[in-house]
Amino acid sequence: MLEVKNLTKIYNDGTVALDDVSFTVEDGEFLVIIGLSGSGKSTLLRCINRLIDPTEGQIIWDGKDVTSVKGAQLRNLRRQVGMIFQHFNLVNRSSVMNNVLSGRLGYVDPWKSLLYKFSPEDRKKAMESLQMVGIEDQALKRADELSGGQQQRVGIARALMQNPKMILADEPVASLDPVLAHTILGYLEKLNLERNITVMCSLHYLDLVQRYGTRVIGLRDGKLVWEGDNNAIKKMSDAEFKNIYGEEAERVSAGSLTGGEV
Amino acid sequence: MASRKIEVVEKKNLVSPPVAVIISVLFPGLGHVLIRKLNRGLLIMASIGTIIGLFLWRIDLLAHRETDFISQYLKALSRKGFFIGFITLAIVILWLWVARDTYLHATRKKKGGFALFAFILVMFFAIGWQISEIDLKKAVTKFPDAWPPLSKILWPWEAAFTRATEELSASTEILIGSEDQGPPPIPVEEPGKPYLRSTPNFGKLSSLDENNNVIKGTILHLTGKNFKPNTLTQIWWFDALGNEFRPRQDGKYTSVTTDDKGNFEYDLVMPYRLIPPSAEGKILNKVEARQVTEVGSLIPADPLKLTFSLIIETIFMGMMATFFGIILSIPISFLAARNIMKGSWVTMLIYFITRTVLNIIRSIEPLIWALIAVVWVGLGPFAGIVALTVHSIAALGKLYSEAIEGIDHGPIEAIQATGANWLQTIMFAVIPQMIPPFVSFSIYRWDINVRMSTVIGLVGGGGIGFLLVQYIRLLDYKAAGIAVWFIALTVSILDYVSAEIRNRFV
Repeated sequence: MLEVKNLTKIYNDGTVALDDVSFTVEDGEFLVIIGLSGSGKSTLLRCINRLIDPTEGQIIWDGKDVTSVKGAQLRNLRRQVGMIFQHFNLVNRSSVMNNVLSGRLGYVDPWKSLLYKFSPEDRKKAMESLQMVGIEDQALKRADELSGGQQQRVGIARALMQNPKMILADEPVASLDPVLAHTILGYLEKLNLERNITVMCSLHYLDLVQRYGTRVIGLRDGKLVWEGDNNAIKKMSDAEFKNIYGEEAERVSAGSLTGGEV
Repeated sequence: MASRKIEVVEKKNLVSPPVAVIISVLFPGLGHVLIRKLNRGLLIMASIGTIIGLFLWRIDLLAHRETDFISQYLKALSRKGFFIGFITLAIVILWLWVARDTYLHATRKKKGGFALFAFILVMFFAIGWQISEIDLKKAVTKFPDAWPPLSKILWPWEAAFTRATEELSASTEILIGSEDQGPPPIPVEEPGKPYLRSTPNFGKLSSLDENNNVIKGTILHLTGKNFKPNTLTQIWWFDALGNEFRPRQDGKYTSVTTDDKGNFEYDLVMPYRLIPPSAEGKILNKVEARQVTEVGSLIPADPLKLTFSLIIETIFMGMMATFFGIILSIPISFLAARNIMKGSWVTMLIYFITRTVLNIIRSIEPLIWALIAVVWVGLGPFAGIVALTVHSIAALGKLYSEAIEGIDHGPIEAIQATGANWLQTIMFAVIPQMIPPFVSFSIYRWDINVRMSTVIGLVGGGGIGFLLVQYIRLLDYKAAGIAVWFIALTVSILDYVSAEIRNRFV
């Protein structure tokens, strides 16, 4: 279980990115975070694996305070949390295989890894991860030779190498077209259901939110303004929606696409 | 969003069209300004001002002795009639054109129009032609003068190879003075060996009288035997100090061709030679008959050998300079990368200082650095290496720092998120991004450095340029041509190789 208590993040330039945010996530949930750009979604996700240090508040995961860990303990925390990014964040000039293997860095002998030496088991695991996302035939290509959808699958495969208990996905489909969006979220749902991995994912399209989220939190200007389960989001009123997205927002639909794998 | 009407407000002229035209005639461009064509007006003012200024300067140069303007102008016109006439006419046309342009713009019959400025540009070209002393006629008519050296440079290969020579010679001593001083012994003839004797073997050297008329010296009758038949034989003279030279007779070097048996007879007037005042006693000179023949197959001549060894020196000069440049510029490049240094004002200050110094060093050409380096470490390849290294550090420092600035932060974040430590993050997220630009820039720099090291020798920095400038000063255009060919060959090969390597990496 992940507990976020009174989390606040103020950047050096004075921007208040998160303002006293508290919520809990049960293991095995598919939590969706919605909110405008700049509402604090990315900051929130990055506070959980401490890519960003929160200013105040606590994050407690499996009874441990995440906000206070350092050094080896911090790396030990990070390796249990997979992360997927909007812009995939692959090392473009490295091969797909090396990108996937880099997911193992938190587990392997640091000195050996510096020479890009990985054990046969790790390589086998990397191939399995690529198989799971259906791009095992691309393993030897350079990452930037792949299409956007394929690159995001590499991102998922990299996260899988960490044997994650939780996956943080920062707008994983915002750079992809709607068809691919369902494919990628389909993989995350599969991991969520089959391997009981907790997923925290920020999304924009309401259709996708309703289709995949088991629970939803809404952020606005760094404050938690909405919280509800899947049923609640399906019944969300225009007023509530506007409260999150502002007066000028209209309901955006991902088109007439039905959910599921494409 | 509230829709907004776009209102077009016509700004009113400050003066009426006729007034604007009159003002334009009095002061070109001012009329445009007063009808609110500020940019056009200022541009016209600046152009006409510059043209007239340059024109007056050229007139002054052409006739600087005249005192008043009219006589200056007439003198200039008589010296460079076409140029002065053309520009005068063009200024008048331009003046009228500007007035007409003012009228058309003032009455809104016309907008924009570039023809006027095209005309101004033509005038600048005409003035530029005169200032830079372009003389196409000279370039064409004087071309034949350039042809002999040029043809030697273009096809220098006769000088590239030579044959080994075999020398066949015999000599005999000549006493300067009269017989009673005791002439040297006559050489003994040995069968199969070249032989030379002189009759007499004493006499007077040619000399000059008070009116600088030549008084011919004693005629020596030379008899040569056992030389190669039917071969040109040179006659050489050795003075008492051992200096050898070829005497001339009737303006030609003395030489004789042997007969079918390898013998010759020749009458040599004893040459003009000053006898050192300190000379005392018996003075013996020597006359030598010499046959030089080429034997064997072609072998590389000295210019080719020297060029080859110096081309190797040049390539390695470029390589060493690049090597030092890379080593030294890597740490500096981090100081010049904004994303690394933006932490505090101290680091930002270092960043700005580093950047400024790099820019200054880079803006000074390697050739000028070589001049400084020659003073610093003396003539030779090391001076060239120092010069190229200094320039490479500045150039590479800038390129590397830009590569560092251009690094994508995303992968760094992603690798950190996997639980990787600092070193792993550098190795997996930073280095892969850095290697391609680093390799590419370094190879590019090597290419530049080798190209630069071919000319850095011109100022004494070693390498092939050093040799080239020597050959040119000795007017040895064939040898210079060999050096030029090798430079061209090396640079183009290197150009190709470096482009290939860079293509593989980028």
